[in-house]
Amino acid sequence: MKNFGDQNYNPEQYKYVGKVNVPRKDAAELVTGKAVFLDDFKVPRMLIGKMLRSPYAHARIKSIDVEEAKKLNGVVTVITYKDVDQNWKMGWPPTKPILGEEVMYVGDAVAMVAAETESIAEEALELIKVEYEVLPAVVNALEAVKDGAPQLYDMFKNNIITPGYPPFQKDGPFWHLVKGDVEKGFEECAYVAEDTVEFAKMPAPNAPEAPGAIVRWEGGKNFTVWCDTQSGHICKTLNNIVMPDASFDVRTFNVGGSYGNKQSQVVQVMSAAILSMKTNRPVKVFQSKVEQMCCFETRLGSQVHARIGMDKEGVVKAVKAEWTVDAGCLSNATQGQIGVGIGETQIVMAKCPNWDLDTALVATNKQPAGIVRGYGGQELNSCLSLLMGRTMREGNFDPVEVYKKNYVCEGDMITWRDGRQWKIHSVNYVNAIDAAAKKFGWKDKWKGWGVPTWESEDGKLVRGVGCGIIGNCDVGEDNTEAYVRIVPDLFTDVSRVVIQTNITESGMGQRSNVVKMVADVLNVDYDMIEVTPPDVKINPTGFGLCGSRGTITYGHAIVSAAEDLRDQLFKLAVPYLEVAADSMYLTNYGVATDARPGRFVSWKKLIPPDLTLTGYGQHLENFSTPNMFMIFVEVEVNKETGQVKVLDILGGSDAGQIIDPSMLEMQAQAGIGSASLDTALYEEHVIDPATLRTLTYDMLEAKTRPFNDFPTYETCFLESQFDTFQFKAVGVGEIAGAAAASATMQAISNAIGTQVSTYPATPAVILKALNKI
Amino acid sequence: MAADTVKITINGLTYSFSMGDNFGQIPWNETLLDTLRNRLNLTAAKKACDEGACGCCTVIKDGDAVPSCMQLTADCDGSSITTLEGLADPVTGELSELQKKFIEYNAFQCGFCTPGIIMTTKALLDKNPNPTEEDIREALSGNYCRCISHYHVLEAVNALAGRPVDLDKKWEGRR
Repeated sequence: MKNFGDQNYNPEQYKYVGKVNVPRKDAAELVTGKAVFLDDFKVPRMLIGKMLRSPYAHARIKSIDVEEAKKLNGVVTVITYKDVDQNWKMGWPPTKPILGEEVMYVGDAVAMVAAETESIAEEALELIKVEYEVLPAVVNALEAVKDGAPQLYDMFKNNIITPGYPPFQKDGPFWHLVKGDVEKGFEECAYVAEDTVEFAKMPAPNAPEAPGAIVRWEGGKNFTVWCDTQSGHICKTLNNIVMPDASFDVRTFNVGGSYGNKQSQVVQVMSAAILSMKTNRPVKVFQSKVEQMCCFETRLGSQVHARIGMDKEGVVKAVKAEWTVDAGCLSNATQGQIGVGIGETQIVMAKCPNWDLDTALVATNKQPAGIVRGYGGQELNSCLSLLMGRTMREGNFDPVEVYKKNYVCEGDMITWRDGRQWKIHSVNYVNAIDAAAKKFGWKDKWKGWGVPTWESEDGKLVRGVGCGIIGNCDVGEDNTEAYVRIVPDLFTDVSRVVIQTNITESGMGQRSNVVKMVADVLNVDYDMIEVTPPDVKINPTGFGLCGSRGTITYGHAIVSAAEDLRDQLFKLAVPYLEVAADSMYLTNYGVATDARPGRFVSWKKLIPPDLTLTGYGQHLENFSTPNMFMIFVEVEVNKETGQVKVLDILGGSDAGQIIDPSMLEMQAQAGIGSASLDTALYEEHVIDPATLRTLTYDMLEAKTRPFNDFPTYETCFLESQFDTFQFKAVGVGEIAGAAAASATMQAISNAIGTQVSTYPATPAVILKALNKI
Repeated sequence: MAADTVKITINGLTYSFSMGDNFGQIPWNETLLDTLRNRLNLTAAKKACDEGACGCCTVIKDGDAVPSCMQLTADCDGSSITTLEGLADPVTGELSELQKKFIEYNAFQCGFCTPGIIMTTKALLDKNPNPTEEDIREALSGNYCRCISHYHVLEAVNALAGRPVDLDKKWEGRR
C-alpha cells in the first residue's frame, strides 16, 4: 500500500486486511503443543495453594483448628480468616474479605493451604477441623430483597448492592434510565405486553482451561502475577481494589478460553498473593474443574418485570421495567454490566422515547456471578425480547420488519453505560438485516406467529423459525495506547517490526489481526512483524479483548502508531529523496517516491546504528458506533418427547471492513458456546434446594452440545466502510450468541404454537406448554 | 501386581519408570497425564476436567484415542503412547499432514482443546482413512470445545478424509 493519506484505506489496496492468506501467528504453536498455557508454566520453588471449602451456603465459623494440617510433612502454611487482613476486601464496593469469618456460599473458602505438592495440600485440607454455626441463606434475588430475608453483608440493606462502578461511570452511578413520560407513552401504544420473565439459571461458561494464577510476592506490596486472565489490565485493576496501593505485574499466556469470564480472577490472584506473602515463595492457585463449576463466576441471574408498548406501526414507544440482577455472593464491577444491559436494550428499541428502566443488583448465597460474553446485555435481552415478541405477536408484525424499524442507526441518541448521551454515528444495519433474512430464507420459512414452518405427516414433529437481534457500543470502550517499533537488522537492510501492545490471545486471533493491519500500513511482510508478550508492565495500556473492543480500540491505537512511525520515516527521508513527505511511500523496508523514480532509502539508513524507531498511537474511548448481530434459528420439536433439535442457524451482521473473514466466521459460530444459544435448551446451573449445593458440579453433570449434535451454520456479513477508525471496521464477535437464546425460544414457540418463556426449554418445559404434563 | 518398573514407549522413546512412593518414583496411582506433563514436560495434553469427560488430555495408546487422565501410568506397562509432540518430524520439525490441515482450515480458536482434537482425529484416520462425516462427528463427540471451532475442525478433517472444502471458492477474492 502506498501511504499518501486516508485515500489508501481502501480494500483494493490491502494485501492482508480482509484476506484469508496467512495463518494465525500462533498457529504452529497450537498444533504442535508448543503453545504455553498457565498450567504448562512453572516458577522455581513454586508451592501449590488449595482451599478448604464450605459445605454450607451461609455460616459463621465457630472454631477452626489447623494444627494437624500444619504438621503434615510438605505443608508450608495453613491460613484462616484470623491470618488475613479483614480490610482487604474483594468486589465493588469492597465487600468480602479474602478469607472471612462468615462463609457466603457452598464452596466459599474457609482456609487455605500452601504445600510442596498438590496431593500434600489436598491431604492437609482433610486435617482441618471446623465447627460452623449455620445461618439462614437466600438464593433467589427476588426473595433476597424482601424485608426479613437473610442478610449477607451489613453494608447492603435488603441485599441490594450499591449501584455504580466509578471507572465505568465517571459522572456518578448509572443504574436507572428515565426518559420521556412512560405512562403517556403507553397511552399511544396499540399493543402492550407485561409479565415477569427470567433468565436466571446462571450457567457456567466453563472455559476448557480453569481459572488460576501463580503469584510471587516481591516484597512490600509488589507482586508478579502469571494468570490465565483474558485481560491482564482488568485483572490488575480489580485486584487493586483489594490492595489499592499494591503493584501487580500481570503476565499472561495463551488463554484456554474465557468468553469474558476469566478476567478479574480476584479470588485466585489474591489467594495466591497472600499465600506467597506468608511463605515468601511463589504460589500457584489453579482451580479444578469442579471448583470452576461450583466456585467460579457464572452468568448473572436476570429477573425482569416489564411492560413494553408498541404503536400500530410496530415501533416501541414505551418501556417500563424493573430488572433484578443476581450477582451471587460477590459483585466484581457488575454495575458496569448493568449499565451495558440498559444501553443494549436501547440499541434494540432505539426509537422509543419513553423509558423507566430501573435496576437492582442483589447479593445472594450463591457462587459469584459476573462477566460472561454478552456482559449484561444478553441477560436482559433474553428477557425483554420475549416481551417485545409478544407485542409483535399482538400486532401480527413480522419480527424482522420490527427489528429493522426499531434498531439503532446514525443520528439516534443512546444513554450508554457511563450514563452519558451518545449520538450514534455512521452505522446503519437495515441492509445487513435484510441480507441475513434473505440468505436464511426468512420470508419462506416464517409463516406467522405460532405457526409452524413444517409439520410431519403424523403431526409429531414440528419446525419453527425465530430471530433475535442485539448490539453493543462497547466496541469503542476504554482508552488504549500502543507503540510500533522498527528494528533494523544488524547485517542486512531488512527490518523487523515489533508491535508493543497488551493483547492476550484467548481465541479470537486479534494478535494476528493487528499484525495484518500494521503489515498493510507499513507495507511489510506479515512474517516480519511480531507482537510483544502480554504483560501490563512492559506494554502500554490495553484493556484486552472484551466487548468486541479489540478491532476498533487496538486497531485505532496500533494503526495510529504505525502512521506516526511512517510520518517520522518520511520526515527523515526528505534529505535523501529530496521530495516532500506527501509524495513518499513505504516499500521494501525503506522509503521511495513516485516523484523521483529509482530513489530509495532504507529504514536502516534513517535510524542511528543499533537503535530503533518508535511510533506511538492512542485510542480514546468512544461509544458512538454500536455493532449489530442478528441470528436466525430453525428448530424441530418432537411434540411427544418435548425434545428440541436446532436444525439451522444463520448469523448476520455488517462488520464494516472485515479484518479476517475466517476468524470472523468462527466468532459468529462461537455464539453457540459460552452459555449462549444453548441456555435456551439445556444449559443451566442446578442447585439442590435442600442443601443449596450445585448439582451440575462437573462436566458429566452439566450438559453441553457435543460434536455430533451441531446444526448447520451459515453467516452473512456485509462490509460497509464505517467511520470508526482507519480501517473502517467494527468488532462484532462478543455478541454473536447474545440474542441466540431469545431467537431459539421464539422458534420453539412458533413450532409448537404455544408461547414458551421458561429458560431453558427442556422437554419438561415443552410438554408442560403443550399441556401434556 | 505389576512389576516395580514400568516400561512405556512415548513418541518412539522407551522410558523405564521406577514405581513407588519415594522421591522421584512414580506412585502407583499416578495418571498417565500427570506423568506426561509433570515428569516428561510433554505439556500438549491438557489437564481440564480430570475425569475423562472433556478430551483435552487425549493421547493415542496402542492405536486408540484415550483420555490420559483416566489411565494409570502403571497400567501402561508395555504400551506405546503418542502425544501431540510426537506428530511433527522429530528431526526437521516438519508438521504432519494432519497438523498442516488444521492450520490451513484455521481449525482452532483458543487452542486449549486442539491437542486432544488432533489426537482423536489421528487415531480415527489411522484406523479408517476414509471416515464418513458421521464417523468424524462420532469420533470427536468426546472432545469438548467451548470456543466452537467445530465447523472448521470438521472442514479440516473432512479434507483429510478426501472431502475438502474448496477454500479458494469459499474465500473467493480473499486469498
